[in-house]
Amino acid sequence: MEIFVREADEHLTSLQGGLLALEKEPDNKGLIHELLRNAHTLKGAARMLGFEEISVIAHGMEDLLKAMEDGERAVDAGAVDLLLKGTDAVTRMVTALVNGSDAGVDLDQLLRAFAGEELDEESVAQPEPALVREDGLGDTVRVKVKTLDSLINRMGELIISRKRFEEKSSQFKELARTAASRELQEFHRALEEDVLYLNYLVQELYLDAMALRMLPLRTITEGFGRMVRDLAREQGKNVDLKVAGDQIELDRILIENLKPVFLHLLRNSVDHGIETVDERLVQGKLARATISISARYEGSSVRIDVRDDGRGIDPHKVRQIAIAKGVIDKEQAEVMGDEEALYLVFEPGFSTREFITDISGRGVGMDVVKRNIERVKGNLLLRSEVGSHTEITMHLPLTLSVVEALLLLSGSEQFAIPLNYVQETVKLMRGDIVSVGGKEAIHIRGATVPLVSLAELLGLPERKSLLETGRIEAVILKFREQSLACVIDKSLGSSEIVVKGLGEQLKSVRFVSGATILGDGSPALILNVPDLFVHAEGGEAAFGRMLEEGGVRKVKGRVLVVDDSITTRTMERSILITHGYDVEIAVSGEDALTKVRGAQFDLVISDIEMPGINGFELTSRLRGMDAFREVPVIIVSSLSSDADKRRALEVGAQAYIVKGSFEQGTLLDTVEALIG
Amino acid sequence: MLNEQQSGSDEITSILRDMREEYWRGVTETEESRGEALECVTFVIGGESYAFETAMAAEVIRIPKLVRLPKVPEVIRGVFNLRGDITAAVDIRRLLGLSASELTPAARIIVVKAKKFMTGLVVEGVKGVEPLPVDCFEPAPRSLGGQREFIRGQFALESGMVMLLDIEKILESPEIIINMAE
Repeated sequence: MEIFVREADEHLTSLQGGLLALEKEPDNKGLIHELLRNAHTLKGAARMLGFEEISVIAHGMEDLLKAMEDGERAVDAGAVDLLLKGTDAVTRMVTALVNGSDAGVDLDQLLRAFAGEELDEESVAQPEPALVREDGLGDTVRVKVKTLDSLINRMGELIISRKRFEEKSSQFKELARTAASRELQEFHRALEEDVLYLNYLVQELYLDAMALRMLPLRTITEGFGRMVRDLAREQGKNVDLKVAGDQIELDRILIENLKPVFLHLLRNSVDHGIETVDERLVQGKLARATISISARYEGSSVRIDVRDDGRGIDPHKVRQIAIAKGVIDKEQAEVMGDEEALYLVFEPGFSTREFITDISGRGVGMDVVKRNIERVKGNLLLRSEVGSHTEITMHLPLTLSVVEALLLLSGSEQFAIPLNYVQETVKLMRGDIVSVGGKEAIHIRGATVPLVSLAELLGLPERKSLLETGRIEAVILKFREQSLACVIDKSLGSSEIVVKGLGEQLKSVRFVSGATILGDGSPALILNVPDLFVHAEGGEAAFGRMLEEGGVRKVKGRVLVVDDSITTRTMERSILITHGYDVEIAVSGEDALTKVRGAQFDLVISDIEMPGINGFELTSRLRGMDAFREVPVIIVSSLSSDADKRRALEVGAQAYIVKGSFEQGTLLDTVEALIG
Repeated sequence: MLNEQQSGSDEITSILRDMREEYWRGVTETEESRGEALECVTFVIGGESYAFETAMAAEVIRIPKLVRLPKVPEVIRGVFNLRGDITAAVDIRRLLGLSASELTPAARIIVVKAKKFMTGLVVEGVKGVEPLPVDCFEPAPRSLGGQREFIRGQFALESGMVMLLDIEKILESPEIIINMAE
């Protein structure tokens, strides 16, 4: 039966959605056929399990749809209504099956209606949309958001701890190798497998934890189409509800607070905003009114607009009511601007018969809307034009939202940019950059896009060796109809991030819309793209010139030379400097470890025999550091035995040069082979 | 189950707090016979000793990774991750008009709770928590100039001067709030 309930639920949802669509496009034969298929399958499934009553209703619906398909019956509001009532009846019967309760459906009357008789309005109880979802399938639990928050934060800690564990494991690998113990090496292999499995589990767990807290807006908007339609029909109005952006995910708590907000706004719109069909026609409007809900990410918030093309709100009338209700006095009303006056409808004392919305028998004022939005620290804007429209814009915080973002490095800091602003990332060469009116730009996909330095825009120090690879990386951002190319240090790929607010102290920071916490526990700022567009003036970053000059005297790379012999290190240093490398000297292994802290090198050249930390140990320690795991190491030593060479490769060195055969050429060739 | 443990540990925390309060009451009482004392966290900024009431401090941490914010005044050094919450690090030396030298490994962040947010105060080093005798307290000298606004006075101790910061005023000061939208 469980399978039947699930299947029936699917068909009923399709029927409901399909019927509403059919009302809008009555000539859509394909749609009718699809609905026919739904009713037919439902009938078959019900009959197979002996749910005779459901099967009979489905049969009636099928007959009616067939008649529509064959053109024997007009596709009008009455017919669609009847089909919707049939859908409701079946929905209630399925729910009754699950709960073991009585569906309260007057089957005979319904069937007579399908047979062509007038339906008595009272016979089919008022529909309660989403009944099956809410009460029928009790497979959800309520959890405190605080608990979820704490869960997510602990997941972050777990990820950091996992990283440390990984590092310890690779250190252990070195130890086992140094000790040349087969037992330890085997132990390490087993440990490594466990670490891998743990990694996998942590990753999955993290995704699950993230998903727990988020819900798509769709969760609440799904039933609205039906609600608006029924409300409107009761009042002889014709209203179409359009929903856009309902895939946007919001925190549960936001969703919960939004539901009553939407219900009130929609109800209010239908009751007071939308005119009757006659009135609309007289005013030269379309008979069918439109209410639209549209949601999208905007800057530091989710923006949701609820707009109707009804009669609008008259500020004079609002003032009169507010005075009559004692919300404001005459003097206040006189100094109050029209725009300001509109907001009076949200005041607690304002609710009048005209503005009260009545949901399940309780009269609640519009102040609920304002209160709920404020509770989630959102912002509410009301705009209206008499005779034309009313628009309510809600800006909701992202505090707990999740977005897909591009992570990147600029000015040595990590940043995130929401992917909906990112067109692509590109690698640029000298020829790609053009000058337009003294400013730099690039041609991309047939458009000329201004080129700016992200680091410079943000006031961060530019990375010195931008041109190591001979190219620069840029991210192409889009906002409304514009594009902007921002030069960055490096793109780090896209990832799903939890967006956190900056809190009450940092209310509004230019270029920043929030922050996220990275896998290693450090924060990364989320860039506010509209801000970047506003301030991205004067792209005179002169990347073209830098690339141009790069060909002549470019800094090829930064090398750290480690040797306790002054002769060797001075010689190595002068060879490298003459050939365009930037060189730093360390006189011992310890000195080298101090110098690499917080600095970037492209290559390390080290001696083996030094007092204290020797070259092998230095190499192995560098391999254990995040920033130096991939940096090539060349060992230059007077030790020439194969065992030493093997040992050097084992600890992670890329090349081994014997000092005896040391020539300028050998060193340079090796360096160039490794870092160009 | 978890909630029970939680409330159990809450209970323990509150018992501990009561015990601590009782202890400090005892200490203050004995000291009252000699003269009142103010329980303070003392630290170094601009090379000198400063203090504020321990009750205002939530915790002391090592300087974590600070992420700089673009185009903000230097008084905000950056943000850090305080157990999942993005928190600002305030360089109060700038606010007080002191020279801001490079931070050494001894530097710490004292996390304090303002009315609406938690924030971190960057200090060059934390000396400890100690009762400062009210007898030795004197108003801030006029010579202090600009920083006088945030200083309630000073303790002239045998070991040297300790400035008492007006931490509440610092936390309410508009300089530490970043609101570029206005």
